[in-house]
Parts: sequence; structure tokens; C-alpha cells
Amino acid sequence: MLKRSLAILTLLIIGYWLAQGLAGVPFGQDRMLVGHYYLEHVKEQTGAVNAVTAIVVNYRGFDTLGEVTVLFIASTGVAALLWRKKKKRSAKTEGSVVLTTGTRLLVPFVILFGSYIFIHGHLTPGGGFPGGATIATGFLLLYMAFTTYEIPHRGFEKTEGIAGMSYVLVGLIGLGIGGYFLFDWIWQTWQLGTDNIGRLFSGGFIPIIYILIGIKVGTELSGIIDNMVKEEVSE
Amino acid sequence: MNGQYASLLIALPLISAFFVPLIKGAGKNAIKSYLVLITALQTGVAAWVFQEVYSTGKPMIVMAGGWKPPVGINLYIGHFAALFVLIVAAVSFLMAIFSFKAVNVEPIDKYAMLFLLLMLGATGMIATGDIFNLFVFMEITSISAYALTAYNKTGEAAEASMKYIVLGGIGSSFFLVGVALIYGALGTLNMAQIAQLASTLNPTVAQVGLALVVFGLAVEAEIFPLNAWAPDAYQAAPHPITVMFSAFVVKAGLYAMARIVYLMKDVGSWSSILKLLVILATLTVIVAELAALRQRNVKRMIAYSSISQIGLIALAFALGTQSGVDAGVFHMINHAIVKALLFLAVGYVAVALGGAEMENFRGLGKRMPVTAFTISVGAIATVGVPLFNIFWSKIRIILATLSVGYTWAAALVLAASVVEAVYYFRLLHVIWFEGTGERMHENMAMGIMLLFLAALVIVIGVYPSYAWNLAQKAGNDIFNVAQYVKNVPLMGVGA
Repeated sequence: MLKRSLAILTLLIIGYWLAQGLAGVPFGQDRMLVGHYYLEHVKEQTGAVNAVTAIVVNYRGFDTLGEVTVLFIASTGVAALLWRKKKKRSAKTEGSVVLTTGTRLLVPFVILFGSYIFIHGHLTPGGGFPGGATIATGFLLLYMAFTTYEIPHRGFEKTEGIAGMSYVLVGLIGLGIGGYFLFDWIWQTWQLGTDNIGRLFSGGFIPIIYILIGIKVGTELSGIIDNMVKEEVSE
Repeated sequence: MNGQYASLLIALPLISAFFVPLIKGAGKNAIKSYLVLITALQTGVAAWVFQEVYSTGKPMIVMAGGWKPPVGINLYIGHFAALFVLIVAAVSFLMAIFSFKAVNVEPIDKYAMLFLLLMLGATGMIATGDIFNLFVFMEITSISAYALTAYNKTGEAAEASMKYIVLGGIGSSFFLVGVALIYGALGTLNMAQIAQLASTLNPTVAQVGLALVVFGLAVEAEIFPLNAWAPDAYQAAPHPITVMFSAFVVKAGLYAMARIVYLMKDVGSWSSILKLLVILATLTVIVAELAALRQRNVKRMIAYSSISQIGLIALAFALGTQSGVDAGVFHMINHAIVKALLFLAVGYVAVALGGAEMENFRGLGKRMPVTAFTISVGAIATVGVPLFNIFWSKIRIILATLSVGYTWAAALVLAASVVEAVYYFRLLHVIWFEGTGERMHENMAMGIMLLFLAALVIVIGVYPSYAWNLAQKAGNDIFNVAQYVKNVPLMGVGA
């Protein structure tokens, strides 16, 4: 009781203190120092209609590269900690017919929609991370409905590595062509799709990177699911 | 060569880590050799950057994507970053060699990836010039550190990692709230622009934001109330990883803290933050030294000693003067060398004799004379005996503390040094004057690495002026914010 009330008191003090700080940043005021620049120049500088993806992949692409790495570490870490010589699915009951048939019908659509999201990252809301997560949901469905389903590990791990390397490679090509790491060479040097803004073949390297991220995130999250649902088999 | 190629410091470890799954089938030794090769390449790039920055005297500004800051993200590789990126790469290289002997737990391919990404995260934290990018690199560092702490898969390791992950998670969310607050008030994330606009900041907002950021970084930087994870993690992690934690992961956190604190120099409530930091840093030193006194496990004992030295560096950074910052950077260099030496040697003993308990060190002087000799050099240096490198940096920190008028802090830190001497000399006594044993075979590569580090300790101890010069330049990089802002080619957005 004493512990709990002390905790509540401390939290209230911290909350009050934070509120004091927040009060110094009035809501609704224009604080877009850099923001205006993005909004005004996003179309001609990156070719993307979706300003968020343009900022995330192009202007501040370095952060996205980092976030992709964070996810990669998470999946590698889970794999390292749950590593056993022999592992097997331990599910006991097969899903009902409705579940398995439903999954069979649904999974292709889930994967199609996921691909749609990451391919159209520069045009519609979404991008590589939501698209990849959607694809992983498809695999999660398969795991939940079938007791023996397993992703093809070798292929998945290699795809994940290749997608990550290609992202860095796209950046390094930018370093070679434009002189800067992660330079958008497709848009700024080749000027591909400049008269095509708002359509699929535009947006410089944003769609390419988002496809790579989508594949990477999809395989990574599926790998995490795979590691977590399996148990060790004693020999 | 074009300065933009310094971005290879980030790109190289990243692409090599992604490449590991493709060579997974090649066998254990192939993967370990690959690790050595990549870290050697990284050291080469870092040496080139170091050479370039120190010969021209100008920082290298890497603009990712070709966007000028503050629109894009820039890396700022000034004197400090160039020096510490080199230290990070060199220590990683040594640890890649040490991994051959010390890491035999599967899966080795995952170990290699996490190892490379830990190095990448620390490099990025030190090099970045953008406060949100700093957060991203901090996440890379800490998440790979969580995974590597638990890598041995013992119960102890899992518990240590759990503590670390919970504290680290809370810390980074506080950091993120702090960044959001600063962004909300200023509308920019670029460090140089933040420094420019700092004087216009509302003092309450600045105080809350700065405190949150410092609190978040304090977990990584092992400052007193938030460092409870550290001794457990140091003890339970694989030996090469312990060296990396102590030699550069914690330094990256400390540096980031110092950098952000000094960026906000113009803020009204700045001095109260500094005062709080001085108190916390002094407490860090004392608590860690007293805890080290009664440890029976040598690795844990040195972990506590490492934390207390970190407290000393934090104290130097919290003084708010040029001489304090210089002394802090000098101590960072010396501590990186000495603690790499000590953890490497202790880890080697633990690998060879099966555990780092005090009993295993009985008669080590007769059994493994080279290792025992280097441990002794490291121990004497840490205590701060003249003619060893830490003497010079410790004395500079204490002088800087006295010149600001914190006599009590200097006195307490000195008293803690006496405690340090007690447990280190007890260890030396156990090594040289107790127990007997047959002489054991010592590995050549290990012997060379240990002797190299010990030689560095003594060379810097006898001729401190070169290292002190480096430290002064690097310290100036942190302290002289006006120069920092001038060096970053800000485009006139919104200003």
C-alpha cells in the first residue's frame, strides 16, 4: 500500500513536471522551421507525392537505414537467443476446416495487398514497414492455421540479407554517381520519370528502396514468428 | 580523396553484417576470419579519416543524400569523432581476434552480425550531427548490446539482459520524449541549429527537455542511479563483448550526453543541470568503488572499477570548463586502453582456467606470466601511479575540479581512489604472492595483443604530450560550440 501510494505520488510529480514543460510548447502554433521546406520542395526534389515517405526515405534516409538495421538486430537477436540444435513446431491441434480453408483463400490476398502497399509507398499512405508487416501477417496466419507449416528458412534468411545489402548498395551507388551516400541518383542524375509525377514510375529511388524494405521486413518478422513458435526437441 | 567517403564508416559494417547470412554455411572459422577482415578494413577507413581530420584540422561533414543540413542528416566527424571512431574500430579488430578463442557458443553467424552492428552503432553515435539520428544509432547500439549480453544463454546472462533491456527501454523512451519536446519548441533536429537557437528556448521547456535527454542517455552512460544493469551485464556477456562495452559503448553514451549538454550552453537553466550531473557523477565513483571492494569475481570487480572511472569522466564533463572537458576526453582515451587490456587479460584467464573467480588467479604469476604481467600493468595504471597513463588524466581531472571550486567532489573522488588501490593491490597480491602452479602454454596472438596494449599504457604514461594534444583538440571539439556551428554548412531554412 505504502509502496503503491509512493509510486503514484512520484508519477504525479513527474507528470506535473512534464506538463510544465509541455505548457511551454503551445499546441497549434506554427513551429515548422524545416517542415515548410519539405512541403514546398518535395515534388520537384524527390518526385514523390507522399511527403512522409519522401522525408523518411530521401531527405532523412539515414534514419530509415538505421531503423531497418534495428529490426534486423531484433530478428537476429531473437534467433540467437532461441537458437537450439533441433527445433520443431509443438502445436497440438490442427485448425478447423473453416480456419484452414479460410487461410488458404486469404493468404494470397494478404500478400498481394502487402506488396501493393510497399510498391505504392511514394503515392499512397504506407510504405515498406506497413507493407512488410502485412506480408508477415500472412505467414502468421499460415502458422496459426497449420500445425506443420514452416517457412523456407534458408531462402528467407538469404533474401533478408540480400535485401539489406541492396539497400546499402543503392546508397553506395549514390556515393559513386552523385558524390553523396544515399544520393537519389535515379531522380537527380538520370531524371527518370520527371514528367510522370503522381504515377507508378516516378519518385526516384523511393519505390526501389521501399520494395527492398518491404521484402526485408516481411521476411524478418516471419523469421521472428518462426523462432518464437518452435520448441526444442530433445534427442 | 572526397570527404564524403567517410560515410563508408557506416556503410561498410552495415553491408558486411547483411552479408553474413550468405556465408553462413562456410563454417565457424570462416565466419570468425571474416569478422577479423571486416574490422581490419574498418580500422583502415577510420585511420584514413583520422589522418585526414588531424592533418587538415577541419572536420569532415558527410551529408547523407546530398541534402544540406538541417533538411538532411549530416555526420560531423571532427577531432573527437575521428579519434574515437579509430578507437572503436581498433578495439573491435582486437576483439575479433580474441573471439577466435573466447566465443564457442553457437550460433556464430548471429554473433558476427551483432558484433558488427554494435561497432556500427557506437560509430554512428559518435559521428552523427542530428539528434534524432543519434536516437536511432543509440537504439542500434543498445539493442545489439541486449542480445549480446544474453548470448551465452545461461540463466545469469538472461537475467542481466532482462535488467538491461527494461532499464534501457525506459531510458530510450525518455530520450525520445525529450527529443520530441525540443523539436516541438524549436522545429529542428539538427544539433548545430539547435545550438544556434538554444538561447531563444523557453527555460522551462529547455530544462525539462534537457533533463529527459540526459536521463535517457544516463542508462547507456552508466551514471549512478541507472547503472545497476552494468555489473551484471559485464559479468555475463561474452568476454570480447565486455571489452567493447567498457571500451566504447559507454563512451559513446557519455560523449552524446556531453555533446547535447554543451549544445544547450546558452539556455538559462544550464548550470542547474550541470550541478545535478556533478553530484550524480561523484556518487557514481563512490558507490562503484565501494561495491568493487567486496567482489570475489575478478571480472565483476573490474566492471565496478570501470563504472567508477566512467563516473570520473562524467564529473570532468559536468564541470563546464574547457580544461575539464579536455581532461575528460584524455581520461576516455586512457580508460579505453587500460580497460580493454584488463578485460582482455581477465577474459583470457577465464577462458583458459574456466571462470574468473578469485581462486583461479592464485599463483597466476607462475602459471601465466605474460598475462599476469599485463594485468599488473593495467591494475597499477588504473590506480593512477605516476609513469602510467591514467595518472596524467586523473590528476588533470582533479585539478580541473578544484579550479571550479568543487573541493568536496575532488576530495571524495580522491578518497575513492584509495579504495580502488586497496582492491587492485589485493588482486596483485593474489596473483604474485599466493599459490603455486606449473607454467601453462600461453597463446601467441593473445600475448602480442596484451603486450601491445600494455606498451601503449606505459608509452602514454612516459610521454603523455602527444595523447594530451589529441585530447585537447578533441575536447575543444565538444566545448567550443560556436566553432561547431560554424563548421556545419547550414542552409538558411527558417532562420
